[in-house]
Amino acid sequence: MNELMAVRSLTTLPVVTLGGDAVAHVKDTVFDASAVRITGFTLTGRTLLSGPLPQDLPWPAVHCLGHHAVMVRGREALCDVPLSVARRDALHGRLLGARVVTDAGDVVGTVLDVLVEGGTSGRVVAFRLAAHRELVHGSRHRRHRVYVPRGEALSASGRTLVIPARATAYVTDDLPGFAARAGAHRDRGRSAPP
Amino acid sequence: MMLFSRVRGLPVLTPGGADRLGTVRALTVDAASGRVTHVRVRRGWRHGETVLALGTVEAVGQDGLVARPPAGRTEAPPHRDLLGSRVLTEYGEERGTVLDAAFDPADGRIEAVLTTFGEVPADRLLGLGDHALVVRADRPHRL
Repeated sequence: MNELMAVRSLTTLPVVTLGGDAVAHVKDTVFDASAVRITGFTLTGRTLLSGPLPQDLPWPAVHCLGHHAVMVRGREALCDVPLSVARRDALHGRLLGARVVTDAGDVVGTVLDVLVEGGTSGRVVAFRLAAHRELVHGSRHRRHRVYVPRGEALSASGRTLVIPARATAYVTDDLPGFAARAGAHRDRGRSAPP
Repeated sequence: MMLFSRVRGLPVLTPGGADRLGTVRALTVDAASGRVTHVRVRRGWRHGETVLALGTVEAVGQDGLVARPPAGRTEAPPHRDLLGSRVLTEYGEERGTVLDAAFDPADGRIEAVLTTFGEVPADRLLGLGDHALVVRADRPHRL
């Protein structure tokens, strides 16, 4: 399954067991340190005033990530963590708002959103950037929102992401065009000698 | 074969027709096994609701149900209404809502569930909870 989903749209998705019960809502998506894949979700309760839950949902316990719900096998999929730990994980694992720098040293923008593969994969595919003018030429009165593929050689340190300079050649501002280009980018990355 | 929407509102009589227990309000379903397990009977606003296990129901006809009155209080699982519930595949995608369901009155086996996206065979049902009816799908974007 190769379904792209924006991480900001995952917030407020219900966490539903295969028995049909909603047990929580997604609050934040947590990524691993090198921004390769989702490691889990922090949760809130189901009602308006219930606030954050002292439990989180690790990615291995997710049955499937869909457009309308995060499916889990049962209630026991949620694991107890102290709220402080959940909050710290969410802070460390957040990508939204991080600065994006190419390996040539140019600052190209900040991360607005992260595209991930749904289903059971949870892999980070691309970033949606608020692009600086070095990356996208054109009217300076227009706000540029572009998709940049994740690239194989990406590294993350703190709140800065470093992407390979060649990844910026695959920048697009529409999602369907991006899906086609990301495939080309991946193929070229494989065939190129290291 | 009987439809859920047809059964709702039918009168429930004791054997011999001597007493009237009330009218059918809803059917409680165990989605994992694909069976109707209990019948919820309402007898006016002062008497509240009686729960009858399907085993005590002797006959289901077009014009009413015949059932033995319960001896004591029946232990029943929490009720979730099948009709009108949201349908969700195990891949986390919504597939409309339940319009109706057909079941066999003799043993309570559900034969098919009719949703706004089409018919779902009963062997695809995984569970019915407070959020949705979860159904099995072969692959994403298909029912």
